[in-house]
Amino acid sequence: MALLEVENLKIYYFTREGAVKAVDDVSFSVDRDETLGLIGESGCGKTTAVFAIMRFVAPPGRIVGGKIIFDGNDIITMSNEEIRLLRGKGIAMVFQAAQNALNPVMTVGKQITEVILEHERITKEESWERAKRQLELVGIGSERVKNYPHEFSGGMKQRVMIAIATACNPRLLILDEPVTGLDVIVQRQLLTLINKLRKELRLPIIFITHDLSVIAETCGKVAVMYAGKIVEQASTVSLYENPVHPYSQALIRAYPSIKGEKRGLKSIPGAPPRLINPPIGCRFHPRCPYAVNICREEEPIFRKKNGHLVACHSIK
Amino acid sequence: MKKDAVLRVENLKKYFPVRKSLFEFMSSKKEEYVRAVDDVSFSVQEGEVLGFVGESGCGKTTMGRTILRLIEPTSGRVYYEGIEVTSLDRKRVKSLRRKMQMIFQDPHGSLNPRRTVADILSQTVKIHGLANGKTEEDELIKNTLEEVELKPTEEFWDRYPILLSGGQRQRVGIGRVLILQPKLVVADEPISMLDVSVRIGILELLLRLRDKFGISFIYITHDLSTARYVCDRIAIMYLGKIIEIAPTEDIINKPLHPYTQALVSAVPVPDPTVKMHELPIKGYVPLIPAEVFSSCRFYPRCLHTRKKCREEEPPLIEVGHDHYVACIKAK
Repeated sequence: MALLEVENLKIYYFTREGAVKAVDDVSFSVDRDETLGLIGESGCGKTTAVFAIMRFVAPPGRIVGGKIIFDGNDIITMSNEEIRLLRGKGIAMVFQAAQNALNPVMTVGKQITEVILEHERITKEESWERAKRQLELVGIGSERVKNYPHEFSGGMKQRVMIAIATACNPRLLILDEPVTGLDVIVQRQLLTLINKLRKELRLPIIFITHDLSVIAETCGKVAVMYAGKIVEQASTVSLYENPVHPYSQALIRAYPSIKGEKRGLKSIPGAPPRLINPPIGCRFHPRCPYAVNICREEEPIFRKKNGHLVACHSIK
Repeated sequence: MKKDAVLRVENLKKYFPVRKSLFEFMSSKKEEYVRAVDDVSFSVQEGEVLGFVGESGCGKTTMGRTILRLIEPTSGRVYYEGIEVTSLDRKRVKSLRRKMQMIFQDPHGSLNPRRTVADILSQTVKIHGLANGKTEEDELIKNTLEEVELKPTEEFWDRYPILLSGGQRQRVGIGRVLILQPKLVVADEPISMLDVSVRIGILELLLRLRDKFGISFIYITHDLSTARYVCDRIAIMYLGKIIEIAPTEDIINKPLHPYTQALVSAVPVPDPTVKMHELPIKGYVPLIPAEVFSSCRFYPRCLHTRKKCREEEPPLIEVGHDHYVACIKAK
């Protein structure tokens, strides 16, 4: 059994206008030596899906169905105390725009020791030693342990966030858009760090991003999400070389690259649907160039093609 | 400098004073400045898309705004079709703004949420007195909406921005600029807040407007891969200065300045078979770049320094066809 198994997960937000199906019947798994990339446009439900793994979904949102099995236990049915112990220790998460998530009036060292003291029975002195080691681990000198967040640049703050997230040796790390909004050089330095940590700590990672090239540099396996659903899952290399689902194909064709010949790019017509009232049948059909009648009527199920799991009617 | 340039910028500078504490004020500490734009010169030809690429804080946005006099420059001159913009009084600047416009980064923040699409455009029409009477105004708005591909126009006419997607909002922003028939548009990160699937559509629209109306663009971005897609030439900025400027493919394929080389190799590639290598750069961008440079400003981060780099700031010199670099190594 894989480390994390998400099965038929459904998360709806109950608003006055009706239920927004943010995550609708999503399944994926992460094994002990895997890096899974979740990719999709904003509003496709990728952040909501991983929020459920940490049980962060709050009203008006609700997990209405499915299972999240982490190391044999179902997260959805855990007690609040069990969840508290799990967060930070079992699964840790670095949030989107994490640079702004640091407490501005607390030294970074204090913020690292907080997590450690919460989960482990060690003395304060030991926890400060650990905090220093954590800073060294992410490439910041231990002498900066008494610095405040404003003394760090954006990329350095993100490093501190990673130091906090890995402080208690979690068994799964979730990174939600960790490099978005950072400059390319800083971005590259962070990706190198993430790859190094993954190898050194043998840490499975779920990597959420809207950026195809970031996935290409970090993840072994990818799940493409569209309008609350996963439409294709495959190994990264195979997905980039032979995308099967029309949405994956379109996404890759819309992405400019700096390497090689300058090639023509194609935008995807239209915009993602509103999830309060998603299209009937395949959710991508209004934007799909290959849509036929069945796509407008029936939801496609997952089928295997070239080792990819794809939800598209075009596969027989 | 060529004669037929739409825009010519000469030695443009914008310094912002660094706020002093009371103590520093009393002890009459010397005034310090952040040199956001530090002696920048270039020109833009008719129908050209000139890209400005650099990391955040390199001064590219300040430069764009200073050109339009949304920010007053500290010194230097800006010429629009031979007219010196920098010495005009406010009234004349306003009439010139018809010809020089700006597209903003955030399509959510730059549209008034209480006005419908037609209202937003009609406001521009009224301020600049573009139409005689309501029918002419409606006609103008309708044509503009069609031009930015918000079709059928009736469907968008009475919509509020909240009911539009990010891409559609940005199209309204472009329409608001287009309705004035500008000659020069400063586009400040116009697609960085949009989804990948709609980005290319916006870039295609900009290129189509360029071809159809001969509009010149200054395209400001931190993203070299999209800059490659739209720009004819790219200028790389570092700490307020242009350190390299060349035709797009030259910047991408044979960058000469060590900073450009680092920047180009740092851009992530959407290809999992390409391996990441070590970046040819060290250190970080200073948090408050208030330093006065007597050396090359890239010196502290450069891996190829020589003694001379520490002694003087290298000027921007031509090293190839239309290819200018500020590095002594590139000669």
